[in-house]
Amino acid sequence: MIQVLRETHDTPESVAHSLELAGGINRFREPNYRAVWGWNRLAWIGGKFEERDPATGALLREVVELRQEPKYPAVNRWHIEKWLPPETYGSPRAWWAQTVEIEGGRSVPALGPYPARGEYEHCVTLEGPRGEFLQITPTVAEHIARAIEWSRRHPRSAGKRALYDREQLQERNYDAYAYDILDDAVPAFHRQPFVTVR
Amino acid sequence: MPAQANANVIALQLEKVRDKVPLLYERDDILLTMIQQRGDVEKISSRNMRLPLQVNPGGKAGSYNADGGDLGRGSGTAYDVAQVSPIFFRFAIEITKLVEYATNGRERAIENAAKREVANGMKQFRAFLDKLMQTAGNGVLGTINSIASTTFTMAVPSGAALVYVGQTVQVYDTTLTTNRGTCTVTACDPINAQTITVDVVPGGTVATDVIVHDGLSGAQPVSLFGIKYHQNAATTGTWLNLNRATYPVQLQTPRVNAGNAALTPSNVRLAINKVRKSLGINHVAKLIAYMAVEQEHAWENLGITVSQIIKEGGNSDGNDLDLLFSGRKTMSGIPIKSSVNADQTRVDFLDLSHWGRAVLKDIDFYEVNGNTVFPIYGASGGLAASYIFYFDTAFQVWDDSPRTGAFIDTLARPSGY
Repeated sequence: MIQVLRETHDTPESVAHSLELAGGINRFREPNYRAVWGWNRLAWIGGKFEERDPATGALLREVVELRQEPKYPAVNRWHIEKWLPPETYGSPRAWWAQTVEIEGGRSVPALGPYPARGEYEHCVTLEGPRGEFLQITPTVAEHIARAIEWSRRHPRSAGKRALYDREQLQERNYDAYAYDILDDAVPAFHRQPFVTVR
Repeated sequence: MPAQANANVIALQLEKVRDKVPLLYERDDILLTMIQQRGDVEKISSRNMRLPLQVNPGGKAGSYNADGGDLGRGSGTAYDVAQVSPIFFRFAIEITKLVEYATNGRERAIENAAKREVANGMKQFRAFLDKLMQTAGNGVLGTINSIASTTFTMAVPSGAALVYVGQTVQVYDTTLTTNRGTCTVTACDPINAQTITVDVVPGGTVATDVIVHDGLSGAQPVSLFGIKYHQNAATTGTWLNLNRATYPVQLQTPRVNAGNAALTPSNVRLAINKVRKSLGINHVAKLIAYMAVEQEHAWENLGITVSQIIKEGGNSDGNDLDLLFSGRKTMSGIPIKSSVNADQTRVDFLDLSHWGRAVLKDIDFYEVNGNTVFPIYGASGGLAASYIFYFDTAFQVWDDSPRTGAFIDTLARPSGY
């Protein structure tokens, strides 16, 4: 029996092109947005790994090393990423100070080397409303990139207000739900007949 | 035969809605009930619930000399037991006779008053318990930064977010040893000024004192074990009756200290990776990112997500998005769950499949011999023109694997908060 351990896909040319048109290019002449397949997207993880027995969860061994592992938990989905400039991650010195872990007398950069050319960060995982797989298309990818760019143009105060409005809407939804539930509990007209009975 | 009392009629109305109370309570929209929906619920007696934990692996691995060498001895897996005992919580609702007289139609008025108070009371009770879920298990709802007359300015992170107007609170000293007294919250501003105004300041109250909820007593009170109790990087103190110092690694939740800086993608990756390193690369699929609205806004400010303004704003782009996709906002691929009650300087990554509730008594009306509504007596000993009913429940929250989560703390709040 052949067991597929890791399924990789390259980004379709048409999708990459659409994203480049929608989001533009960065200072390194690379696209601001890109689509990646989960299994293709690897990132550095450094530190002490605990390897466990899959069946029992028992600790088997501890290893201190730097590995490349899938960056996102949803490995069998398409993801849209946006490029962030290196200054987002602070100075190399700050990066080193924040990310280096000392394990077993060794210094290990927990997130790998400083992203001197910036880094692509997660925007959206393409999934259906119930978490089902959704194939990427140029239209979908372009749509997301445009929505994010649209978001970025709004003042931060509007974003803050929208979040609080959402919380208030949830409160109102609860109130409506509660009254509906309680209305169901108490019959209309207090069990009195509302058609004349002779 | 005595005349029918108003309280008797109210009892009938409450009985009609009685079976709806759990529905109003168990909604998958706050952290407390997410634990109910996604975690375990164990029915327990008044004795402690015991949670066996595998704290250390067994077996001795190594090479050996097959040419007559000694293979050495072995060892077995080490277990210990965490224990949980429930806490009783109540919510008292009092209605005056005037409510009944306020509208025409006697039965209708009573029905509406009872219904409205059940709905409002349940909402407030849920909110109260959800606020306790944000605490460290000692009932502390906030810390006083400064005092001006009867107004306390509260220290961030909690600020004034964990109290509500009309709530009875108590003031304790910072070591949770001295109970300075009780007061009632008359106003609070959890959004901007982070202030709480009370009716009377208990004698001896000073800045650095803390506010705890009503009903606690004695030194080092114990309340609901919230996020900060279970998701904790401390190596001293106790956790579910276990000494943290005995298992400093096993009981410690991975922590990323943001150093009062704004949230960045690297903070998030560091936290998630800590979970992956300790529990396996594929483990993070079950995590949720739980945070205050302020940190959700900080994440939006990074400009790498479709912001709420697009999702809720009625813009055609946003509506199309929701039709095409799940609409879930994520943090590096981890679904976001935000709350106005959560710590404003913290992001918690929770695996709720490891969380549960030990329930001694489900939420219901407090009942004595079949009665759920009780009269109030005036100072003279005669009846007062009001009556009272209670919701009560008894439970405790547990997490059988503190290492399964992670948290980022000491985050800066975005400007404007």
